[in-house]
Formats: sequence, C-alpha cells, structure tokens
Amino acid sequence: MKIRCEYYAGPELKFLANLDMMHMMERALRRAEIPYALSEGFNPHIKLSMGTVLPVGLWGQNEYFDLELAKRVAPEWFVMQLNAVLPPYIRVKQAREIDSHEPALMKTINAACYAFIIQGVPLTEIIQRMEHLMQKPNLEVKSRGKKKDVVKDLKAGIYKIEVKGQEDSVIINLTVAIGEPVNIRFDELKDLLLEAGIEERNITDIYRQANYVKIMEDYMTPLEKVI
Amino acid sequence: MKDKLFRDILPLVAKPVRYTGNELNMTTKTWAESKCKMVLAFPDVYEVGMSHVGSKILYGLVNETTGHLLERSYAPWPDMESLLRQNRLPLYSLESFKPLGDFDVVGFSLQYELSITNCINMLDMAQIPVCSKDRAENDPFVIAGGPVAFNPEPFADFFDAFLIGDGEEVLPEYLDLCFATRDLPRSERLLAMAKIPGVYIPAFYRAEYMENGTFKELVPLRAGLPERIRKRVITDFDQAYFPARPIVPYMNIIHDRAVLEVMRGCQRGCRFCHAGIVYRPAREKKVATLRRQAEEQIKSSGYEEISLSSLSSLDYSGIKPLVKGLVEDYGTCGIGVSLPSLRVDAFSIDLANEVQKVRKTTLTLAPEAGTQRMRNIINKNVTEEQLIEAVQAAFKSGWNAVKLYFMFGLPYEEEEDLTGIIRLLKEVKSVGNRYSRRPVEIKAGIANYVPKAHTPFQWHRQNSVEEFENKKQYLLKAKGKDKSIKLDFHDSATSFMEGVIARGDRRLIPAILKAWQYGCKFDGWTEYFQFDKWLKALADSGIDPEFYTCRARGREEAFPWDFIDTGISKDFLWQEYEMARQEKATLDCRQDGCNDCGICSEFGIGMEIEGAEQ
Repeated sequence: MKIRCEYYAGPELKFLANLDMMHMMERALRRAEIPYALSEGFNPHIKLSMGTVLPVGLWGQNEYFDLELAKRVAPEWFVMQLNAVLPPYIRVKQAREIDSHEPALMKTINAACYAFIIQGVPLTEIIQRMEHLMQKPNLEVKSRGKKKDVVKDLKAGIYKIEVKGQEDSVIINLTVAIGEPVNIRFDELKDLLLEAGIEERNITDIYRQANYVKIMEDYMTPLEKVI
Repeated sequence: MKDKLFRDILPLVAKPVRYTGNELNMTTKTWAESKCKMVLAFPDVYEVGMSHVGSKILYGLVNETTGHLLERSYAPWPDMESLLRQNRLPLYSLESFKPLGDFDVVGFSLQYELSITNCINMLDMAQIPVCSKDRAENDPFVIAGGPVAFNPEPFADFFDAFLIGDGEEVLPEYLDLCFATRDLPRSERLLAMAKIPGVYIPAFYRAEYMENGTFKELVPLRAGLPERIRKRVITDFDQAYFPARPIVPYMNIIHDRAVLEVMRGCQRGCRFCHAGIVYRPAREKKVATLRRQAEEQIKSSGYEEISLSSLSSLDYSGIKPLVKGLVEDYGTCGIGVSLPSLRVDAFSIDLANEVQKVRKTTLTLAPEAGTQRMRNIINKNVTEEQLIEAVQAAFKSGWNAVKLYFMFGLPYEEEEDLTGIIRLLKEVKSVGNRYSRRPVEIKAGIANYVPKAHTPFQWHRQNSVEEFENKKQYLLKAKGKDKSIKLDFHDSATSFMEGVIARGDRRLIPAILKAWQYGCKFDGWTEYFQFDKWLKALADSGIDPEFYTCRARGREEAFPWDFIDTGISKDFLWQEYEMARQEKATLDCRQDGCNDCGICSEFGIGMEIEGAEQ
C-alpha cells in the first residue's frame, strides 16, 4: 500500500536540509512502528519519497511525502501513530491511500505559494509596489540556482500575487511555477521584492504556504489531485 | 536572543542546525526549580561533540537522576563565532539559550590536548574570565574532565577544578556539593570541593622545579589537601546508568547511530595506549543488559544502526551472543549492527560478515607496526599470520579495499621497521589480488607516534618534526610508484604540539594563553592549525618545546602528572618500558594471569568479565 501525507514543518525546523528532514521522518517511522516496506538488496532502506525540496531557511505549512507500506493500514491510524512520536514542531495533518502507479510528488508538483511576512511598511505602499511590479513587461533576477548569476525572467512563472494586511504585518503570497515554464526559487522571489523597494530588514519571515498540482487554472493540493 | 539568532544570524552561517537545539529527546528542565545549573561545553563543533558517548551519559545521568540541570554547548565554527562577536552575543546553551555565564558550572570535556584553545575561546565568547584567578564570586566554576585531564598541569590556570576518572561517579557528587555550599564564599566552596575524591583544585597547589628544569614536586598550599588525586572508577559497570533516550540530532553527525558501550577499559596492554591505562580495569556489561539498552534506544530514537563501542569491542567476552541477539531482534526491520573497530584476526572478519549488511567498501584494521619486533616492543599482540588470515577472509568475502593503521616514530625504531610497513602493505595487496575478483585498493593511515603521560613510554623521547618528515619521505620512497597503495600521514607539526602538551607542566600556561591570543583555535583541524603562531607563543614565553618532546627522561625523574593516581603503579610502567627495550611481549592478563599492574589491588576490585556469563 502506498500512502501520501500532508505535513507541517514549523519555523523551528527551517534550517533543516532536505536530507535532515528525510532522516528525521525515517526515524519517526521506526519509532512509530509503522509497517513500512523496505527496498531489496544489501542495504535495505525505507521507500520514502519527499515532495519538492523545502529549502534551508524556509519552513512549510503544507509539505508532502509518499511512503510505501508492507501492509494495509488506516490512514487515520497512520497519522495518529506518527504524530505521537514526531518532534513538537512537526505535524502530519492528513494522509490518504494512493494508487501504487501514482506519479511521484516531485513530478506532479508544479507550483507553490511562498508567503513573505513584511513588518513596518504600510499596507497601501506594499499594494502599490506589487501592482507596479506586475505591470513590468519582464521580471529579471540573477539566477540563484545552478547557473549562478545568469539573468532569468520570472514573469511567465509568477501566477498570482496576493497581499493581505494584518495589524502591523502584511503577508505577500506569491504563487509561482516550479519546474516549467520557469523554475522559481524563494530566494529569487526575495531578490524581486528587494528590487521592488521592500527592504531586507522589513522581511521578518518567509515560508512555503502551499504546494500545488496546477492544471490550467486549477490549483489542487497533491492530496486532492490523485488518479 | 533566540529571535535575533533565528532572524539575523543563523541564515548567514554554514550548517545552522548546529546552533538551534530542539532535537528529539532534548531535556528541558525548569531553570528556577533546578538545584545546580551546569552546561557541558564540548570544545569542538556540534557534529563532533554530539558523537561523544561520555557526554550522552552525563547529560542523561544528571538530568534524569539528580535535581541538577545539565545543558549543552559546542564550539561555534569560525563563521558563527565572528557573527556572535560582531553582534555582541555571548555563547549560549542549546536548551535554554542562556549565556554560559548564567550557569553555576561550566564543564569541559577534554578529549584532545589541542582542544584547550577552543576551551579558552569558548570562555571568552561567553564573557567568562579565562583564568580562574580572575573569576569573581558570581562567575561559574569552570571545570574539566576526560582523558586529557589525567595530565591537568598545562591547563592548571584555566580551570577551577578537574574531575578525574569516570564522570558518572564524581560529577553528581560535585554538583551536590556545589549546591550545598551555594551560600559560602567561592574560596571556601573550592576548599570543600577539594575534599571530594577525584577532584583536583589546581589553585591550591604550587609546582616546584629542579635546577635542571625538570619537575620536582607539587606542594599543597593548605593543610588537609590530598597529595595524590585518585581517579574515580565505576565498580558495577553493568548496572551503571546509560541513557535510554539519547538526543537524536537533525543534522548528520560523525557517529549518527545508537551506541552500546559494551565494555569500558581494555586489558590488552599496548604500551603506547593512553586510554588503555587510564580507563583500567576492563569492565563489561551483561549481554542481557545490552540487549535491553538497545531496545530502549531504538524505541526512543528510531536509529537505523546500533554500534558496539569500546576500546576493543571484539574482545568483549559476550560478543558472539550479543551480535546474534541484536541481529535476531532488529535484522528484519532494516536496523543494522556495526562494529567500529575490528580485531586483526579471521574471527573478527567472520563476525563482521554476519552483521554488516552495509556495502563492503573499506575494511579497517590496525596492526600498528610493520615488523614483529616492533609489535613486541609496543606490545601489540598481533602476528603477521593473523593479519594475512584476516585480510584473506575479507577479500574472499567481497571486500576490495583495506585500510591499515600504523604508527611511526615508535621507540627503538629502525630502518627495517619502516620498510616493514611498506612490505606488509605490498603483501596485503598481493593477497588481495589473489583472492579478490576486482583490483584491490590498499590504504594506510600512518600516524606520528606521540608518547603520552601514564604510559610505559612516558620516559621516551618523541621524534622531532624533522625526524617525522624524513621518515615520511623514506616511506614514500620505499612505497615507490605503486598507485594502488595510498599512504595517508598526519601533520607532524600538530603531533609535535600535541606532544608538548601531553607531557607538559604549568610552565606552558602562558604560552597556551598567548597562542590563543595570537589567534589559535580549532587546532585539531588541519585547516586552522597555525604552527608558526604556536612557535611564536612558545618563544615569547621563553619555552624550549623540545624539552617536553625530544628529551629522554631518566628512571628517577618525577613527572608533573605523577600525583594523578590511575591505580597503575609507576614501577609497573617502568617494568613494561624495560620489557619493550628487551622486545618482549606482556600477555593479556585476562588469558594469561595477572601482570600486577596494580589496578585491581589498589581499587579493591577485579575485572568485570560479564558477557560470557549468560
């Protein structure tokens, strides 16, 4: 049986690298005595596959992993067992059984929403700056990925910008492409905001708010979009 | 503090998880309700310090079984250090994010001579005066323990107290007393601490020297102080505390697995081995105890591997039933057993074959010397036949790379002992080519031998940097162009400094302080070790370092570390040194009867050989 989970990884864990997160999850599976399936061979390992990498420095509100189990379990039981042993800053929110042929998370997730918390800048000013940003014909930043310093245009990959105000802090939600048509990293988005006139010291937190499977104009979570 | 760290500082450093704490099974006790507050400071980075078994034991012991509190702190990597200093943030503990200066006790674990500069640097980062005489009433007591504390003299001014021997025995007593005396003046508290067996308060003693510069004696400055400090020893090792819920780090650390300490001490009697003396007598745990401890740890940690740790785990008398039991218990859920140190014989290889499901990459063995004559001198009771049998068995069962550990610069070394290393490596390679299907790779880790205090070679002169370098060149030349044999050397300058401190005395203190002031830290890390600064510090303090390293000592010479009572008599050590000169082996007392080293009679205990009694 294959199971897909949605989990929360809090700000306390934002400095974990992807591999650290995977180890942490594997160890939790062992502590919870989940009947996980093991790969064949000399060095058997748990068949756990994580969704798109949560970059170091970022925490995640809705992250995902798939796991292969050696026997059938109720997803509710699975969630309960795992939450009982996970460190306090990480929680499995829900889980569901998926078809064994369901394509991997890494392949289906093609959009994500990043939230930037801005403090000390009036809401109206931020709205103005974002509107100005969206009117530009292209949004060029220096790539932060493998091809460092190559200038890339993020325009085609920026799907939505939403600005929400709270008392003294504002959230900018940026829904952007992962992979195609252009792969956008959170640090590139940050560069974009800095260029739009928001200052580094006013950005007090950044997290990934959602991962999506985007089909046309539909945004579905990986739990909603299964065969 | 924590907010500032998470927002402004940690995003800028490499491996920020080193500094965030909050790992699974971390203990947070209520500050106000805890009696004595201590921070265990490890003078190296997180991933090194978190791998240290002794720290895991003390952390659990104090937090779970006493009313005191024990938190952790590690040496920040230089990138983090400069950010903390720039932002005027003191070094803090990972549990409560409190500055080290807020604790009652700051305790350092001394595992390596050169980690002293990191101790000083950590104190400075915590804004605690680095010398004990400058500490005020409200400053913490700065203490140290661990194997290097068996020669505490070169560090005497930096620490208020040294705790000698098994920490499980002495630390709780020390903390109890620290709490009980909390309303007394600092000097009176120190005086009370000096009465605890195993506790050494260096400020209460004065060192005197002979006209020829050698050590004379350590004079107590008050009445009622002990003349000798006897190490503390756990007598019932099987029943001793061992953590059931070890901290599980988020990042990869050096030894990232569950650990079973199957045995403490070793009775093999290798004459170069410091640990072999200071951790005597050999004490084992019962197989049943270890299986229970494995179960507790796996349940609470979820680790994928269990490692059997000790100075020589294959000598553990219950090794076979233990390994069999662990494989039975955990094999099916993909949890492996690992043997970190293998003995040089075919039995070890067979056992490793049974348990190690990991890919057979590199097999590591330690013959230590290249000729039988030299192995007799150092009392490494391994024969060439055993080594050949071991590698034969290994190559036959699928290993295709072998790493062998050797030392050079050993006492009474001759040219043929060096060529012997190369000859042995070539022999192992030809065995490999005969039995392995693929071309084999032979690596040799060749260490500079550094004579240590409390060992039979404490009288012997260490090779100079130049001698080490010449011998290195000689070994490389003898090896020739054979690319399938790789030689890996240690840094001779580092070994030289290690040797100076290992057999040093109080006169080194100003030089160590200067070295730190000149910028020395992380001296165990090749990329940070600055020999020129050390030499300048020594010269500026008027010290000839070769007095400590390249000088043979006489039978009658008093040593600065003699007052630390390991339970092994100096006569026994001298006798062993004589045996070395005569190229004679001393057999393992477990198989061959008592060698009268003194430990059992002195402590009124015996070796605890528990594993076999099931």
